[in-house]
Amino acid sequence: MKQLLYFISILLFFTSVSLWSFNEIGYEWNWAGVLDYRKKFSDGFITTIWISVSALSLSIIIALMNSFLLGSRHLFLRTLGKFYVELVRGTPLLVQLLLIFYVFAQSFGISNRYLVGIFSLALFSGAYISEIFRAGLESIPKAQWDAARVMGLSEKKILSIIIIPQAFRVILPPLAGQFISLIKDSSLLSVIAISELTLNAQEVNSFTYSTLESYIPLAFLYLLLTLPLSQIIKFLEKKMKYET
Amino acid sequence: MFKMMSLFCVLIFSGSSWSKDLIVGMELSYPPFEMTDRSGKPDGISVDIAKALALSLKRDLRIENISFDGLIPALKTKKIDLIISSMTSTPERAKSVAFSTPYLKTGLALLLQKKSKIQKPEELNNSGITIAVKKGSTGHLFATQNLKNANLLVIDKESSCVLEVTQGKADAFIYDSLSIYQHHKKHTTVTRAILESFKEEFWAIAMRKNDQELMEQVNIFLKVYKENGGMDRLGDKYLGDQKKEFKKLNIPFYF
Repeated sequence: MKQLLYFISILLFFTSVSLWSFNEIGYEWNWAGVLDYRKKFSDGFITTIWISVSALSLSIIIALMNSFLLGSRHLFLRTLGKFYVELVRGTPLLVQLLLIFYVFAQSFGISNRYLVGIFSLALFSGAYISEIFRAGLESIPKAQWDAARVMGLSEKKILSIIIIPQAFRVILPPLAGQFISLIKDSSLLSVIAISELTLNAQEVNSFTYSTLESYIPLAFLYLLLTLPLSQIIKFLEKKMKYET
Repeated sequence: MFKMMSLFCVLIFSGSSWSKDLIVGMELSYPPFEMTDRSGKPDGISVDIAKALALSLKRDLRIENISFDGLIPALKTKKIDLIISSMTSTPERAKSVAFSTPYLKTGLALLLQKKSKIQKPEELNNSGITIAVKKGSTGHLFATQNLKNANLLVIDKESSCVLEVTQGKADAFIYDSLSIYQHHKKHTTVTRAILESFKEEFWAIAMRKNDQELMEQVNIFLKVYKENGGMDRLGDKYLGDQKKEFKKLNIPFYF
């Protein structure tokens, strides 16, 4: 209750400072011109939601698969996993998108840009998430493995009932950050002509020459997606605390 | 508290708003209109116009290189006095900023995939036709309003639009005739070009809506500059080859 009160007063202060600043520089708003394009905002918002959700799910699957590669007994598979992480993390998403869509997908005859876009985004995020998974697993002291082995538990059992539940709690905060990044990174899909939220807001800006009036709603709409996400993860964190 | 804050702001920002310099914003990445020379100094058609304008207003010129998306906020928050950056004036944009009388006439043209069955612009508005447009360009605006039956690809980068056409993913790319001419020259084996513009466009200088005095000065300058052949000289200086080629094709030139 107290926190809500603080939150509202901070929000009010922030809003009034913003309004005062705009007033002080004599900014001429053109909201009416932008309002004509509200359908562009809602269409883009919906596209961003379903693209983000699909890429997010796929990136978890990719990260899990890569975790198996990284934890494999074969050096070749481990090297493959590391190669993927380093290559994808170390290069700009923009370059990856352009190469995957215009070169690789083109040569394999795949022309559905939404499919390629979601896959590229998931591939990018998957590299980060698999590193988060690895860090989570490694955060559990080796002594717990030894203790569990002494108790006669199988490797599978140790993982599923001792290591993973604890690691899960550790990875939640960085995972939330990564998911939020993924939602915002989806704005880069505009380079392969996917009409998501950012692209549509930029279009409205170019049609109306009202830059801030087009981008301020954009900020709110992304917050509308990222805030619930971090709330869900916070809730999960709390729930996991009671379990252990 | 409020007074102190105002005073503080005045002290910080007075530098740009009170000086007599004419501050012109442009994005220096559209040769030959806005670019930099080898030493990094601003150069190009728009720069020459800005220089002549400052001379006629008897003010010192300062050019600010600002990315296209940042130009409008910079203008509206008084960081710059006006924008000369290949801006097309449209009635809709005029609700946000004020435009001078046009200084250049251009138009939309077509870069076509060589295999595409399109022969003239009227055939664009059909289902089964895929058209690439650069996000936010006037070609994009034209397509959303007039080509509702065609499949539209809105793309961030001009080079990607060209790629869509050369790879055969799009039938046509709609853009201004000068750029289309240059892209066609680069990809003559896989593309065709229709340079005769099917929609006229006008480039103008953008100012704040309440800056009436500057607006009058700019319009007078443009009139005199055009009458004295300033624009023709710029065309010869920066676009000599295109000017000759357009003359051969019997297409009117931009100035």
